[in-house]
Amino acid sequence: MSAFGDDISTGSVHGETPGPARSDGSGRSRGIDPRGPRFGAGITAFLLLVTVFLGLAGLTVAATVLLAALALLFLWGATAGVTRHPWGIVFARAVRPRLSPPTELEDSTPPTFAQGVGFVITALGVGLQLAGVPGAAVIGAALAFVAAFLNAVFGYCLGCQTYLLLVRAGILRRARTGA
Amino acid sequence: MNTVLALIVTVGLVVVTTAVGAIWRARTGRVRSAHREILSPARLGENVAFGANATIVQFSTEFCGPCRTAQRLLRASAAGRDGVRYVEVDLTGSPRLATEFAVMQTPTILLLDAEGGVRSRIGGVPRPHELNERLDEIVKESHVGIR
Repeated sequence: MSAFGDDISTGSVHGETPGPARSDGSGRSRGIDPRGPRFGAGITAFLLLVTVFLGLAGLTVAATVLLAALALLFLWGATAGVTRHPWGIVFARAVRPRLSPPTELEDSTPPTFAQGVGFVITALGVGLQLAGVPGAAVIGAALAFVAAFLNAVFGYCLGCQTYLLLVRAGILRRARTGA
Repeated sequence: MNTVLALIVTVGLVVVTTAVGAIWRARTGRVRSAHREILSPARLGENVAFGANATIVQFSTEFCGPCRTAQRLLRASAAGRDGVRYVEVDLTGSPRLATEFAVMQTPTILLLDAEGGVRSRIGGVPRPHELNERLDEIVKESHVGIR
């Protein structure tokens, strides 16, 4: 699991340099500002909405290309961690210095998992669209928009619910005990 | 679809999603009364012990951000009261419990009385005022029962 990989690399190699380690992504051990992932979800939600509009307006190629770009960004967030995601870096450099310090820090594992969920939804949209399923990009973008918008505006965590459903279905238990 | 219609549908998507979010926010974290099924500590896992007056049980998973917020809140509520214990159950290791307790979201919280009876159920991060009020009621009742 990537989360464990993060822990090992930041914990043992950069553990003695708390200052820089914090800003370059040791989120799991030190905690991240919970407003970061919500800020990123807001930008993503806006771009997904643009994708929906382009697709509905008949600009299918533009919509599919934009959705593919967003899918790659989700993949980036899911594999490198939310703090190394472009929106995470924008937040850390340009937004957070203007805000008051966070009242509490959050583990970066849940939002990183949510990026994976976002990747699956958007990648399916792109894949099915390229395979010739009409409207797949618009539907994929609309579903991802709902999740990102609810997260940005209301703090709703769709990734958490998805994870619970996977646990209930018995998929993740085996993966974890096997690891 | 022409541009105007596309714009209307796009705006409609934002409106519907906002409504869904508003409904979710109005419902989440509310303390609901539950039928008093009696639980034994062993049912929730090994080395689980209940409080003398009340117990707060939180069902979580590893990939649940709001669970950490709920954890902090519930720990503080338990620490501020005599004989109240906080128990966190990670469903990742025991999906059987998710099915048994029909956990459809994380965090899901149960408030148990001194006998282990489920008195309240909360879906989502609890509203501190409602939670503490209910917890005080349960603790008070357990004192009355002892005398």
